[in-house]
Amino acid sequence: MNALEFLAWVRGPGLDLALAVFALGVVWRLIEIYTLGRKPDLAPPRRVPAASGWHTLWRRMLPPPGMFRRSPVSYVGGYVFHLGLAIVVFFFIPHIQLIKALLGLSWPGLPSPVIDAVTVVTLAAMVVVLIDRVRRPVKRYLSTFEDYFVWVLTFLPVLTGYLAVKHLWLPYTTMLALHILSAELLIALLPFTKLFHAFTAWGSRWFNGEINARRGVPV
Amino acid sequence: MGLEAIPVVVEPADLAAARAVLRELAVLVERLLATGEGGAIDLGVLPLTPAARAWLIDRLGRGEVEIRLTAGGQSTITETGCAGVWWVRHGNEAGVVTSELLEVAYVPGLVPVSRAEVENGLQRLNSGLDGLN
Amino acid sequence: MNELQERLAWRGISRRGFLKYCTMLASLMALPPAAGQAMAEALARARRPAVIWLPFQECTGCLESITRSHTPTIEGLIFDALSLDYSETLMAAAGHQAEQALKRAVEDNAGRFILVIDGSVPTGLNGAYSCIAGRSNLDLLREVAPKAAVVIAMGSCAAFGGIPAARPNPTGAVAISEIVRDKPLVNIPGCPPIPVVMTGVIAHYLTFGSLPELDRLRRPRAFYGETIHDRCYRRPFYDRGLFAKSFDDEGARQGWCLFELGCKGPVTYNACAHVKWNDHTSFPIESGHGCIGCSEPGFWDAGGFYRPLSAPAGPLKLAAGAVAAGAAVGVAVAIANRARKGAARAAHVTATVADLEKADGGER
Repeated sequence: MNALEFLAWVRGPGLDLALAVFALGVVWRLIEIYTLGRKPDLAPPRRVPAASGWHTLWRRMLPPPGMFRRSPVSYVGGYVFHLGLAIVVFFFIPHIQLIKALLGLSWPGLPSPVIDAVTVVTLAAMVVVLIDRVRRPVKRYLSTFEDYFVWVLTFLPVLTGYLAVKHLWLPYTTMLALHILSAELLIALLPFTKLFHAFTAWGSRWFNGEINARRGVPV
Repeated sequence: MGLEAIPVVVEPADLAAARAVLRELAVLVERLLATGEGGAIDLGVLPLTPAARAWLIDRLGRGEVEIRLTAGGQSTITETGCAGVWWVRHGNEAGVVTSELLEVAYVPGLVPVSRAEVENGLQRLNSGLDGLN
Repeated sequence: MNELQERLAWRGISRRGFLKYCTMLASLMALPPAAGQAMAEALARARRPAVIWLPFQECTGCLESITRSHTPTIEGLIFDALSLDYSETLMAAAGHQAEQALKRAVEDNAGRFILVIDGSVPTGLNGAYSCIAGRSNLDLLREVAPKAAVVIAMGSCAAFGGIPAARPNPTGAVAISEIVRDKPLVNIPGCPPIPVVMTGVIAHYLTFGSLPELDRLRRPRAFYGETIHDRCYRRPFYDRGLFAKSFDDEGARQGWCLFELGCKGPVTYNACAHVKWNDHTSFPIESGHGCIGCSEPGFWDAGGFYRPLSAPAGPLKLAAGAVAAGAAVGVAVAIANRARKGAARAAHVTATVADLEKADGGER
């Protein structure tokens, strides 16, 4: 298989397969999670539960008092790489092209030099949060194989994308194919790993806020 | 509509490559002075933006000599303001520039005639004289 | 004067004109400028090498490209100055005489001739899909190639199989390199390839006695070292995100990047963007059409000429089924979970104070 055939495979059958696994996983897990249900709470809620849900949804985006000082890397690094990923994934023009081809939606992209800079910052932030995870005893203790695995899963597409655009290490065609392949691995495994928080973080935050309001302690 | 009707917007000049050319020229000229052997820089393989090129032309300036060569298309060899540095442009029959060099030499390499050619020339002169007799 | 210079002089090419040509050739091959002089001297001294050109499963476009686009410039004459001993299309001889010429050329120059091949080799039905004078290409190649000094696979079909090898490849077409494994071989892909690349490779061989530096796919690095995209004059538009969306919109008129119209420039290694075509006039992107990647292996099956590289190469067949399957699995798991919960609730036995006391009492 030559480089162009490899590329054609990841752009064709590979993409099809990855998106299928992704769709299957997402639908499956969302149905499974949201049909678990809760016991009806018969007590009258002490505060307005829905409002608290929305409040918590936003409130959890900010560090609780004192926490920022205790773990600045988690917050700064976490924010930088999440935002960086969002910018790179959704505002690099070829990515928008893909989304347009898949969903018919499109929006203006950012110039390549901006994407380049954001990519470097994102990669750096990811390395920093990984080092922090390994060096801090508590974080290390809390980390499982899966945490490192999903880090690699997220890091690889960004890295290979950068190497491809900058023509580093391997010929562009091969690198581009590897980039697409790594992104396909990421989306295929996303529903079955912690990465599924991209879908569930919002709902679970809302429920947390809702429950706490019922009990009279919205946070 | 010709090609010139399709506008190409020039990116801000990246002068790094042009500066490197100047530095390399300086080295070649020093060598010419020291050993009598110059050299050349091929501009065709350098990623010079039009702006960087304009900057380079501006820096080198213009000298007194301009040589036009007609051999398989037009070529021009222009002396730059820095004596010993020649701007060489080779064109093909269609008038398109096919290669472009900066040559460092007392006299550009293509200009002098070879001994064999002079001998041929003499022959021709003599045959011309023979014709008159 | 030597043979080549004499021939050139006869054609009205002066020493300076020849030197100039060598300078350009050196520049194209990214050799130092001094190499032009060396090349001129070596070429002038070189013995006129015999060239045998074998056309296999091909369309003659490569030969058209080589012979036509550069006449009457020096490239054509250099090629003329070679001894083209056998080329079915160009030679005057035909039939048995032509076959005789081939046989003689191979025997007289055994171990020294340059073998140029355009077209792929069909291997299906023992090679019967393409025959010359009753002999299959496969057979002929196996006989002639071992006697060649170097083999030049001219064009994408010879280099990589090209269009004959496109799916479903009914004739079992393969690249020359699949058959010729133990000879110095250089691939000059392109549909057709740029003429000066061939003269460049031959000039290099005559000058230095070796093939130029080749890459992994045995292409001369000097010409195939960079992508079209890297050297494209429209690249600034790509970097700024300015794209033509159709072939006649405002962006197309402004000369913006053709990526969204399916340009394969980013994955195509060739020299079109700087060497250009038709006597340095232009190349496809300059005419407003994206690169189709014709010099890449398997370009025909690489997902459509007009589909952007970032878009899926084929239709998504599994997505709808996957959503349905996901829903089915989700519902099944949900029902199982409900059932488990229900079972747990059913098995639940309410503990009373009496039970606790009993247990308490038991311990006492």
